[in-house]
Amino acid sequence: MTDAKVPSGARVRLGTVEGDLRAERNSTIEAEGAVRVSGTAEFEGNVDVVGDLSCRSLDAEGGRVRISGALSVEERLSGDDAEIEVGGTFRAGAVDVDRRLRLGGPAETGVLEVGGLLGGASTLTATTVSVGGKLRLEGKLVARSLEAGGSVEVGDVELDDLEVGGTARLGGGEVRRKVEVGGRFRVDGAFAFGTLETGGIAEFRAPATGGNIEIGGVLSAENDLAFADLEVGGVGEIRGNGRGRSVRIGGKFSVGGSLTLSGPLEIGGKVAVRGALAAGDVEVGGKLEAERAVLTGRASISGALVTRAGFKAVEITLGHRARASGPLVGGRVTLERRAEAETIFGQRVGLDRLARAQRIVAEEVRLEKGATVAEVVYLRTLSVEEGARVGTAQKVDALPPFPL
Amino acid sequence: MIPDRPADGSNRRREATDLYATVLEVVKRYHGGARVTRVSYGAGMPVDRLKILLERLVALGLLGSEEIDGRPVYDITRRGQEFLDTYWKMRGFVEGLDRLAHEEAQRRPAVRPVPAAAARIPSR
Repeated sequence: MTDAKVPSGARVRLGTVEGDLRAERNSTIEAEGAVRVSGTAEFEGNVDVVGDLSCRSLDAEGGRVRISGALSVEERLSGDDAEIEVGGTFRAGAVDVDRRLRLGGPAETGVLEVGGLLGGASTLTATTVSVGGKLRLEGKLVARSLEAGGSVEVGDVELDDLEVGGTARLGGGEVRRKVEVGGRFRVDGAFAFGTLETGGIAEFRAPATGGNIEIGGVLSAENDLAFADLEVGGVGEIRGNGRGRSVRIGGKFSVGGSLTLSGPLEIGGKVAVRGALAAGDVEVGGKLEAERAVLTGRASISGALVTRAGFKAVEITLGHRARASGPLVGGRVTLERRAEAETIFGQRVGLDRLARAQRIVAEEVRLEKGATVAEVVYLRTLSVEEGARVGTAQKVDALPPFPL
Repeated sequence: MIPDRPADGSNRRREATDLYATVLEVVKRYHGGARVTRVSYGAGMPVDRLKILLERLVALGLLGSEEIDGRPVYDITRRGQEFLDTYWKMRGFVEGLDRLAHEEAQRRPAVRPVPAAAARIPSR
């Protein structure tokens, strides 16, 4: 065993070291072919290695270690209050660096931990990646998990789990299980995910497919979005088509194409679907707008309901003072006090006090005091309380076919 | 060298709550083993200033602290996680309101400024 020592400020040429290497601050090592250390390479302060370096383990302390070529560490790379820069390819068993790790070429490691900044110009494959501050990687990242306290900006990803405290911006790819981002999440390319949880904003710039989505503030999808259960605290926008099981939005929701749900749609404020809406139960606190809507369940609208081709559900309730334009088609349709609608088709249609409709086509019609209808076409019964007004009423043997 | 932007990536000025949230998020990543220097690098904050924030967070029960090998290490508490959940939820609401305000401003017709001379009331 012949250990090697490079004194402070020295510039030496080294090839193979059988044993350990210790380089002191402000020294430079020029590789004779490549520097091969059979033991530990220990660096104190700022040290430059010109060429390739391989060693069993590497310890850096209190400075910046710069390796212009490739770096291969069989076991562990440790940087105590240190910064490591690798110009070429990088390979290590495990990595734990306090300050920064900058990678110029492709990298492959086991567990990788960096306290401050991890930057890379190429691809990174690791078992797990944990960064206290920021991760900036131009290439693809493949790992079981990526955790970062601050922010992440990376090309494509292939991960099981992604957990970021602040902001995350991905080129695209897949996170098979869980995405959890505290602040802002943005994906520029096609993306697939297990579940997504974001405190602030989620932006999908290309089509995305995944499971449950929970967003505190704003959802913005510029293309199609497929999901299981979607829950947004503030504002949601899907410019393409939306498809999933359920949607719950606290504020406003708009869909540029069609929205197809197998379950419920609950909107606190306003929902606008430019194409067709298909869903189970629908509950809208404010206004619902759609080209057409066909539900397999019940609808409760508190504000306004606007469709061009019509709105169909098993049961429709227009709340107090609510307004509907476009035909309503339902098994049971109820207009609560002072609600107004145009044409209503149904089996049983009831207008509460002071509610108004232009035309009702139904098997059974019930009008409370003060209710007004211009025209009623009915099959079985027409019940009119004193003070209700009916323009014309016609009993028929068969009702005309309902739209939708 | 404290980052001038809050953790949510927006352009607004970083406030005290943003700093606390940043520190908590970084501490959380270390799963009970967060050392001051590591948190300092992660949060982009000088150690002396960070120590003050850490003390406050511990005093309020948002962080727990213990000594390992003679050095303090920190971990986020349940209350700390509650702080983060509330912080991000609030940020989400604010983002939603900001977006609606922005949309309203874009819909509003542009008002041409009245030239000062035209706005002046002629004196009699």
